[in-house]
Amino acid sequence: MKKFAFFKGCFIPIRLPHLERVSEMVFKDLDIELVKLDDFSCCPEPIGFGLNDKLTWLTLAARNIAIAEEKGLDILTICNGCYYTLKQTDSVLKGNKELKDKVNDIMRDTGHRFEGAFEIKHFVHAILEDIGLEKLGEKVKHPLKEIKVACHTGCHLISPVEIFRFDDQYDPVILERMVSALGASVSDYDLKTLCCGWTLSNYGSKASASNLIRDKLKSMKKTQADCITVTCPQCFYQFDTGQAVASRSYSLGFSLPVLFYPQLLGLALGYKLDEVFYERHRVKSSAFEAKLEEMLE
Amino acid sequence: MILKADYESRDESFKTKKSSEICFKCGICCVVRGYSCHVSYDSEKFNPRYTFVYDCLGSSDPARNPNIWLCVSCHKCEEVCPYEVSPIKFIEEMKSQAFEMGLAPSLIMSEVENILTTGYAFPISSVTLRLREELHLEPLQMKAIEDLRILSSKTGFIDKMLKAKENHI
Repeated sequence: MKKFAFFKGCFIPIRLPHLERVSEMVFKDLDIELVKLDDFSCCPEPIGFGLNDKLTWLTLAARNIAIAEEKGLDILTICNGCYYTLKQTDSVLKGNKELKDKVNDIMRDTGHRFEGAFEIKHFVHAILEDIGLEKLGEKVKHPLKEIKVACHTGCHLISPVEIFRFDDQYDPVILERMVSALGASVSDYDLKTLCCGWTLSNYGSKASASNLIRDKLKSMKKTQADCITVTCPQCFYQFDTGQAVASRSYSLGFSLPVLFYPQLLGLALGYKLDEVFYERHRVKSSAFEAKLEEMLE
Repeated sequence: MILKADYESRDESFKTKKSSEICFKCGICCVVRGYSCHVSYDSEKFNPRYTFVYDCLGSSDPARNPNIWLCVSCHKCEEVCPYEVSPIKFIEEMKSQAFEMGLAPSLIMSEVENILTTGYAFPISSVTLRLREELHLEPLQMKAIEDLRILSSKTGFIDKMLKAKENHI
């Protein structure tokens, strides 16, 4: 069984704890042990915090990485934002000895030291590298063959590309392969690489963010998608709460429920919709629920 | 195409990001939706080209430009730029300066303060505690607070935050 230090972040434990619960459930089923360490702090959040003082951002992130290293564990995050902070810190410090020494000097009084000897993974990397899509497919009890899914990978799992080297920034396909492995079909919609707008909604303009999510949803709906899947809690929030807001403003006339990828995976592993906490979502669709129920009968 | 913006902040700006000098306003950074700037299509105020070239380089005080906060740090502008200008890095630098001047949005100020004082970016409400209990998740504990105080004090960030709060509008 592969073991990871479980880096939950802030957004999921505080705003969307059901996504934490469902992640624990499905990764246990996949023989991945998530070790809970209560010394972690916020990653720290890259846009609101990270831009204001790079040295503090890198130091706080290095402290988090050091805590996992002291336990001899790779880190597994369930949030694109946390991955964006931790992976960039790991990469920047490993590539700059002077900066690494400076950060370690600042950390000296806390008893922690960053070595950069372990890996930082988002859960998608664990699924691809530690499980593998073939083995994942073998674990599927209920192939989601009638379901068409619109995939949204999110900006901060892909970019900066020179550090993450994960997927094609102009045509991301890896999440689609992960969805196909569950037996579902994939929606090939126009605005696949468009941002969810969460940062814009919080720090910039709520109206612009609402326009953005409206256009993205319409593009998904055109391809007859039944639902959306994401790998990031902020993207989840935009497609759920943000969709509810956009629906009121623009009378969209349709609902596209969003599932965090571990929820979609949970359905394929045999959990029911209520067991992946779908009832806690703002946006639901009776057509999607009926299709799923019929398929799982 | 030759830039016509008056480079009032040119010398200072170019110290921050030398590559800014080679931008020739081709517009690739905001030309195809989804593949370049995500925000420029919905906002008359923002696209990386105008915010970067006119609002930032063409201003004597670029950090005071409110449009910089519309950038979502998606990196698309730098990915498509044929000249490796990277407007995102320039705009992020302006955000950093704006923070110090107390010009960051209130949400950012409170988020930074939350992280430094509680270890979490967001406030923990009674709803969070109830939801976690219902889901049989352990209560939220934060053991890092003293470490965060030591680290942010040593980097000088606590002083920077206090100054930003004093100046905050």
